[in-house]
Amino acid sequence: MSRHHRRHQRFKLKSLYVWHRYIGLSAAVFVVILAVTGLLLNHTERFAFDSRHVQSGWLLDWYGIQAPETSESFAVGEAYITLFGKHLYHNLHEIEGDYEDLIGALRSGELLIVAVDQSILLLMTDGELVERLGGTEGVPSGMRRIGKDADGGIVVEGGHAFYQPDADFIDWHHWEGDPAAVDWVKATTLPEPLYAELIDHYRGEVLPIERVLLDLHSGRIFGRYGYLIMDIAAVLLILLALSGTLIWMKRRRP
Amino acid sequence: MYRLISLILLALGSLVPAPLLADGQGEYQSPETFLSNSFPEGVPEADVIWLRGEVREGVESILGHRYPSLRIRYWRKEDRSAWILEEIGKEQPITTGILIEAGEIEALRVLIFRESRGWEVKYDFFTDQFDDARLTEDNKLDRHIDNISGATLSVRALTKLARLALYLHQHVQQ
Repeated sequence: MSRHHRRHQRFKLKSLYVWHRYIGLSAAVFVVILAVTGLLLNHTERFAFDSRHVQSGWLLDWYGIQAPETSESFAVGEAYITLFGKHLYHNLHEIEGDYEDLIGALRSGELLIVAVDQSILLLMTDGELVERLGGTEGVPSGMRRIGKDADGGIVVEGGHAFYQPDADFIDWHHWEGDPAAVDWVKATTLPEPLYAELIDHYRGEVLPIERVLLDLHSGRIFGRYGYLIMDIAAVLLILLALSGTLIWMKRRRP
Repeated sequence: MYRLISLILLALGSLVPAPLLADGQGEYQSPETFLSNSFPEGVPEADVIWLRGEVREGVESILGHRYPSLRIRYWRKEDRSAWILEEIGKEQPITTGILIEAGEIEALRVLIFRESRGWEVKYDFFTDQFDDARLTEDNKLDRHIDNISGATLSVRALTKLARLALYLHQHVQQ
């Protein structure tokens, strides 16, 4: 090989090395994001990323996750039953299920009685579910309101009549008393500190960590065309591998 | 001509993707109908069993978790009891009716199925396996229940509910 040829080869190798360096620098940040998120996503189950949720306010704001505008609450002794969006809460404890219409809630002895949608939920005073009652269990259809009569018995206004359950909510019968004498429950305003906590709690139960990792990994977290950023990073990574391999091959030649 | 049209319709029908033909979600039988069929002479008044103490422990050991409510409703006449229980298959609960007589499962019926997969468990060819099943001393069924490929979680859920119903039946009979 002539001196001129060797000098040309060294120049080409140096250029390749420079390109390799600049490609690496350009892609570094995004490659690290790709690698770290990929690694974490491989262990989603172990770290329960699909069931753990983001608590960070700024990240929730970034995703546009806001608390529902409307809520409805009923006081039950020292606690509150609140419908927040489609989520039902006993204070800050969410009661499983999706709900549309909270009709009313009251306390009867050691039980909390919650009339919601076409069901009545019986809860312990700590919010633990005792039983979920529907039509099969005799709950009247078309519930409009719930209250207590003068004797403290529960009265429910259904679509066409008034009904009263027995003490164990096993049997229901028509109630023939005077509706004007019933103390019908009324919605109340949630105390401000509890309302603020509920907003934080609600927002903190919406966005799974896995979602954020997937959006970071794909680039979609950066917006509508964010995926292009990761596409470019992936292409740069390919070029990095190719240029690195070429450099290695050229260095091996005698 | 009629035969040609029939053949064309048959061919077109075979092109419809399987999921469209096999959507298994829905209510197959209402709980009220299940109870009426279980007690043709008249549905007895319901009663409840509270899941506390030893009963709660037994339920948790069968299901592998707590039952989502503190008490369970049942209907009983002499040594015949009917239970409407729920257990999650993959993500949604399967509502199941189980009729027990003299310590054996008389019938097991899927009442409401809420998922898009695993609904094959609703068929008699599967639920008939539970007929006459009893509970062993370690609260397992006295037989093996054949799995259905693609419905493993549903099969598992129903098997647990069968055991649960037999276990609770024992307790309410005491």
